[in-house]
Formats: sequence, C-alpha cells, structure tokens
Amino acid sequence: MSTTNKIKLLLVDDEAKFLQSVASRLALQDFDVTTATSGEEAIASAEKGYFDVAVVDFKMPGMDGAHVLKVLKERHKYLEIIILTGHATVDSAVECTKLGAFQYLEKPYKFEKLVESIKDAYEARLKRKFEHSIKHFEEIQKLSISSSPLGILKALARLDNDEK
Amino acid sequence: MKNAIEIQDNPDLAFFGRINASISHELKNIFAIISEAAGLLNDLVELSEKGKKIDTGMFKTCSRDIEEEIQRGFATVKEMNAFSHSVDRSLASVSLVNLVNLMINIAGYLSYACKVRITAPDPADLEILTCPFRLQHIIYQALVFAFKRTGPEGEFRISILTENDSDVRIAFSDLGNLSDENFPFDHMAAVVESIHARIRVTEGFRSFDIVVPKSIA
Repeated sequence: MSTTNKIKLLLVDDEAKFLQSVASRLALQDFDVTTATSGEEAIASAEKGYFDVAVVDFKMPGMDGAHVLKVLKERHKYLEIIILTGHATVDSAVECTKLGAFQYLEKPYKFEKLVESIKDAYEARLKRKFEHSIKHFEEIQKLSISSSPLGILKALARLDNDEK
Repeated sequence: MKNAIEIQDNPDLAFFGRINASISHELKNIFAIISEAAGLLNDLVELSEKGKKIDTGMFKTCSRDIEEEIQRGFATVKEMNAFSHSVDRSLASVSLVNLVNLMINIAGYLSYACKVRITAPDPADLEILTCPFRLQHIIYQALVFAFKRTGPEGEFRISILTENDSDVRIAFSDLGNLSDENFPFDHMAAVVESIHARIRVTEGFRSFDIVVPKSIA
C-alpha cells in the first residue's frame, strides 16, 4: 500500500462522464483514484505510478479491456484487476478469468458492490504479496546459510523487483 | 414454418439483431452514466447534510451530465425508432442523405468506429424509391468495412452524388488499409442484388462506390 494509506486505484473507461462520476464517488469513499480514458493511457499510468487495484472497462476503442488486462498482469504481477462490461458474455468472462482478472462485473452494478470488489481485490493483493514475501524470506534464510554474500544480495534484489 | 437454422442464416434478421444489440448497448452506457451521476449527486447531498462544505460546481456538473445524457438517450431512441420502422414497407421513397446519416450515427456506436466526413446535397434533393431496410443493410456493412480499413483514430469521406439520370452513388474514399478484408462481404451479394445496386471498387480498396437506382419500382 502507498504512503498515503489509501487504496490506490487506476480507473479506466472511454466514457469520460462515467469515468469522472465513478472516480468522484470512489474518491469520496477515500480511495486514491487515477483515471485513464484509454488502454494505452492506463498502461502508461501504471508504468509511472503505483497502483493496488485497476478497474478496467472491457469495451474500449483501440486497445480493449482484455488486452489492457493482459499487459498490466504481465508487467505488474501483484496488481489486481476488475473488469467492467456493458455486455457480459460467457466467452469474454472466460477470457478475462484466464488472463487473471480478479473479478468480472456487469454494468449496471450497484456502487456498493464495486466498492466491496475493490476492497476484496486489495485484500487479495496484500495476501499474495505477503505469501510471496514469506517464500522469499525463507529462500533468503536458506541462502544465508549456504550462499555467498553476492548470492544473498541477488535474492534481495529479486524480492525488491517483485514488489510492484 | 422456417426452422431455427434457416432463421439464423437469414442475413436480414442477423443485421436487424445486430443493430438492436448495438443500440441497446448504447442505451446501457447512457443509463450507466446517468446512474453514476445521480449516485454522486446523492453522495454529495448526504455529505452536505452532514455539514461538509461541497463545491456547488460539483452539483452543477452532475445535473448537467444527467440532462445531457437524457438528451443523448432521446436521440438514440429516435434513431432506434427510425431504424425499426424501416422494415414497415419493402418499397418506399426515402431521402438518401437522411438514410446515410442514420446509418453513420448507428454504426458510430461500434467501438472501432472512426470519424466520417460527409459531403451531401440537401436531403430533399435526393429522394429515391428503394427498399430502405436493404439499403441500410448495405450502407451499414460498408461502414463496418470502412471503419476496419481505417481504424478508430482515422477518418474517411462519404460523398453522395448523382451518378446519371437513373442512378445515385454513395462514394467511400480516403480509406486506410489496416484490414485485409474485401468488400462486399460474401453474405452481402444477394442483398445488393435484391435492390439492383452494385458495388464498384478501386484497386487496393482505398475507395469504393455503392451505386443505387433512383427507383426500383
């Protein structure tokens, strides 16, 4: 989690008015929200910033939600992603699940449901990071007995790279 | 009575269904925006009642968004109505310009739609007697093809012209070359033939014309 102690959210939708209203509502719920109106902008924002959870619209011009999901999951392994869609299909739900989406929500949804999903996604992110940290810690413990100081440093660097 | 497979293979029905699905998706988007703007308005009112000072500009933005989206909804329903009534008569006198504009607006709901520049005479100057539904089908498929060729960031041109004493021409030009699909699509041949239209393509599909008789009576 960031230094501001708020969940850092990346909200992506090509409908600017929808995006602004949802962003304002989530900000009132004490989330730290950054918006993007395209997949390309979302990927660029994720490169520059640090996010806990992304909420991504499935149907967007240019790069669609599935493509954004794939790229974000490849580059930011602990980022949890919720996909929003106006027209849910079994195929797209399966595709998103395979690509690692945390949840697939159909519009219209209850706002409270979105907030709950974001909090669940954040918890899942923390849990995965924690589990990974323990695993790395155990590896480092083993290395500290059997490896050189350089080997230990390399393992620490890997742990640091995995943080995002 | 036709069986289910025959119904599914009917290109007219498939087109009608596709347009309805596209319009319903657009309406869903509109409702989603209204729903979120109204929700935000409620949140702001609640905070205000709790004594928190709220920038009145936020209230104005919400109510303006709701108003604009309701107008957008009316326009969409009007288009839906015009499209739905196009099946009422298999032969009708229609303004070609209005019909092309309706299809540009409806095809504009596609996520890969791009800008279209249209050059057309006064709508009243180009009344033709045709099967409106079938002509809409051809124009819509032509727009789909042109969008795919050009890409969402691009722009192409449509010119509506008189070809000769008996025909009019809808000319698509400045198309890109993103897609390797050809036009007309295979399933379109019978639809094009049914209204005695023809499609003239330039090499490389950078432009093409839909030539339509002024009357098929």
